[in-house]
Order: sequence, then structure tokens, then C-alpha cells
Amino acid sequence: MADKTIQLKIKRQPNPEVAAYWEDFELPWRPNMNVISVLMELAMLAKTKDGKPTTPITYDSNCLEEVCGSCAMLINGKAHMACSALIDDLEQPIKLEPLSKFPIVRDLAVDRKVLFENLKRVKAWIPIDGTYDLGPGPRQSEAQQNEEYPYSRCISCTCCMEVCPQFNEDTGFVGAATIAQVLLFNLNPTGQMQAPERLRALMGDGGIHECGYAQNCVEICPKDIPLTKAIATVGRAVVGQAVKDLFTT
Amino acid sequence: MASRVSPQPETHTIAAGVAPLRAGQGHSFLLRRLHSLSGIVPVGAFLVEHILVSNATAMNGPEAYANQVKFLASLPMVLFLEAFGIWLPILFHALYGFYIWYRGDGNTISYPWQGNWMYTLQRWTGLIAFAYIGWHVWHLRFAGIDLHAHPGASFGKVQSEFAVAWQLAFYVVGLLAASWHFAYGIWLFCAKWGITVGERARQRFLVVCMVIFFTISAVGLLSIRSFLTTPRQPADASAGELHAKPAPPTAPVDKK
Repeated sequence: MADKTIQLKIKRQPNPEVAAYWEDFELPWRPNMNVISVLMELAMLAKTKDGKPTTPITYDSNCLEEVCGSCAMLINGKAHMACSALIDDLEQPIKLEPLSKFPIVRDLAVDRKVLFENLKRVKAWIPIDGTYDLGPGPRQSEAQQNEEYPYSRCISCTCCMEVCPQFNEDTGFVGAATIAQVLLFNLNPTGQMQAPERLRALMGDGGIHECGYAQNCVEICPKDIPLTKAIATVGRAVVGQAVKDLFTT
Repeated sequence: MASRVSPQPETHTIAAGVAPLRAGQGHSFLLRRLHSLSGIVPVGAFLVEHILVSNATAMNGPEAYANQVKFLASLPMVLFLEAFGIWLPILFHALYGFYIWYRGDGNTISYPWQGNWMYTLQRWTGLIAFAYIGWHVWHLRFAGIDLHAHPGASFGKVQSEFAVAWQLAFYVVGLLAASWHFAYGIWLFCAKWGITVGERARQRFLVVCMVIFFTISAVGLLSIRSFLTTPRQPADASAGELHAKPAPPTAPVDKK
């Protein structure tokens, strides 16, 4: 057991201006490790497989329990949350790369600001601020809550966008996560008041129509959000809004 | 102090990545929805008519086939119907489809899932079908004897097409590609327009679409078989008189 090791190949890039390169790493196996705990060990080790000193690997992570959404990366070529990627489930050498569709910051850290921009553009919130107390919102049935709940589980990891063939610089597609949030806030009885605005935003360039229905989003989603259902439901509402606008504006 | 700050490049603006949603901008929504709709109506509707109605008459023999061609050629404003009901919609659907294909980044190697393969297959079958349709329309509609003027020569003209092995193969491949592209296209249409919203609804409807694919393919293949099993019919102008028992009263002659 003592000889068992973990082999890794990690893509390194000190900053966006320089070319990326690969470094090999090796460390002793311990039970119950995940990719984040391995990266922590490597920061302590600070040596490549050939014993060359190297810098600790930069990566985003926070909660370590697949709730914060920050540690998404390409693990053996597939988008995955590093914290819930168990070493014993992975083929070695384990290949770690940053998400490929977002601007690189350093090593495995990327800038996923586009998702937050998109959420802003569709007004993915419920405006409750005012100059006086607006009182409680309408009561929701349990069935309604059950319908909304899955979409509220989104952790903004951007895995659905990374794996989407339509999400790229040519299309500027908004991605499944934002569309699911439009559904969440349009389902909410208070949020419903801004539903037409959210639907109209999705008619702009890069909107819901860029979806090619490859359905990778729903396959990859670590939180099992019914993303294709969200796209179909919002797709219907957007067409309805477009037809309505055609005759009323 | 502020005036002494030299112009620094903004740290990580979104410029270097995928642009955020352009709410309220552009016409891509209209174009994409038109593309989606044009695949069903009129292009898909024409495919159904062409394979399940017109071609199927070949199974009733050369005369029935000639009569169907005669009927189609006798439709009022046939050239207008062809141009705006068939050719231009197909051209728009195909060219905008290539544009969509060009802008997508297929990733079936990294993510080999069923839906992702279908996404890729939809693009390839579209390309094959379009190449086939272009060749097919040129060969049967424009090149050689004009079938609008000589419907009686229709059966023989198709037979002479099938006499060349690679052409027969191209017809079979084109048929299968077009019917797949149409059948899965109906499924995509219903998913994207929010007709089949639920996961189980989409799974059930996929079965329906596969039945549509097999039906169109089977009828198309059986029609092809009729051309191959019937003795060779004349494919020249004389055949036109052969079948037109009462001389064609007002055979519309397109000078093409």
C-alpha cells in the first residue's frame, strides 16, 4: 500500500499572456482523496514529479462540498467539480485543465464573469426594495415550490456552458444556467411581474434560440437541474411573448 | 492622484471570452425561429408529399406515376409554387443551417452522449441531403427531357437515373439522410418551441419521430424498388404521347 501513488498531469499557465505548458506530479496515495485535496497536497509539496521546485497550482475553490460552484475544471477532459471528483474513480494519470471557454486567469482558475453578466441582463432577481414595507409575497402551493426548487439548486459552476457546443465566441450564447434562472424567477409569484422583460431579453442576440439541443448541459449538471426542461419551457414562453408583442407593441 | 494613473489595461474584461447576452439587439431570434419553422413548413411538408404521395404512385406502375407528374405539372402557377414553396425555402434552410453549423463547436469526442451525437448527425445529414437535393433537382427537373411537358417520360427518366450504380446509391443515401434530418428535425422543433416540455414527453415523442423516419424511408425504398423491378420504360418525347390518352388539353410548357 505504501507504494501506491497518484499520478497527475496539470496544465500550467502563469498568466494569460504566456503559453500554457504541462507539468507532471506524483504523490503518495491516501484513501478518500478528491482533486481539491490532491491540489492542497501539491501546494505543500511544491515539486514536480522529477523533483523540480514549482509554484503551487492556482485554482478556485471554497465550500468543498459541491455547493459553491467555484471549483469546476476539466478533469480527464470533462468538466467536473474538483471537490466531488474522487481520486479512486479517476483514470491515472489524472489530467487537470482549466475550463476551456472562459478567459484564463492563472493555471486552473478562469474568469466566469460572463455568467454573472448574463444573470444581470435577464434580471435574475426579485425586486422587493421600495420606500415602504411591501409586506409578504403571495403564498405558494407546495406543488409550485416543488416545481421551482430544482432550479434554485444552481451553483453557477458554468459546467453547462463549458460543455455546450453552442456556447462560444461566435454565438455568444447565453447558456443553460441563465435560462433556468429565468424560469425560476418567472415561476415565482412576485418575480412573475418582470417575466416579460426576462423573456424579451432572451430574444436578443445570443438568446435562447441559439440552443442546438445537444442536451450536454443536462447530462453534465452536477446538481441534476432539469435544464432541457427549463429551455423548452422558457422557449415556449419566449415564442408566446414574441407573438404577443407582435400584435400589441 | 487620479490624473497620474497611466492608462492601464482593464484586468480581465469579458472581451477575451464569450460575450454576454445582447438583450434587445439583433435579428437572430427571428432568423433562427424561421429556420426552425421552414424545416417543417414548407420544406418538411413538401418532403412528405414528395415521398409518401408522389413517389409512392410509382408502386402502381408507370401510368399512375406519369399521371401524378401530369397532375403536379398542371397545378396553377407551378413555377411560382416551386420557387417560393420549395426551392427558396430549402435554400434558406440549408444556407442558414450551414451558418449555424459553422458557428457551433461540436464536441462529441469529449462528451459522447446521445443528444450530442444527434446534434452532430443533424448537421451531417443536412449537408448530405442538401448536396443530394441540388444534384437531384438538376438531373430530374432541369437536365434532360422536361417532364412538365412530357410527363409520360417520367418513369423511364427515373429508371435511367437508377441504371447507374453510384446514382442509385446516391438516391438511397439522400433519401435516408433527408428522412432522418426531417424526423429528428420534428423532434428538435417540438423541443425548441416548447411543445414537448417534459423529459418523458420528449422521450415518447422520440419514438414517434423514429416511426416517422422508418415510414418515410420504407416508402421511399419501396418506390425505388418499383423502378428497378419494372421493365425499362421509354424516356424520350415519344413516351409523352404514350400515356397521355386524351391529348393533354393545356399542358403547361415551361420554357426553361
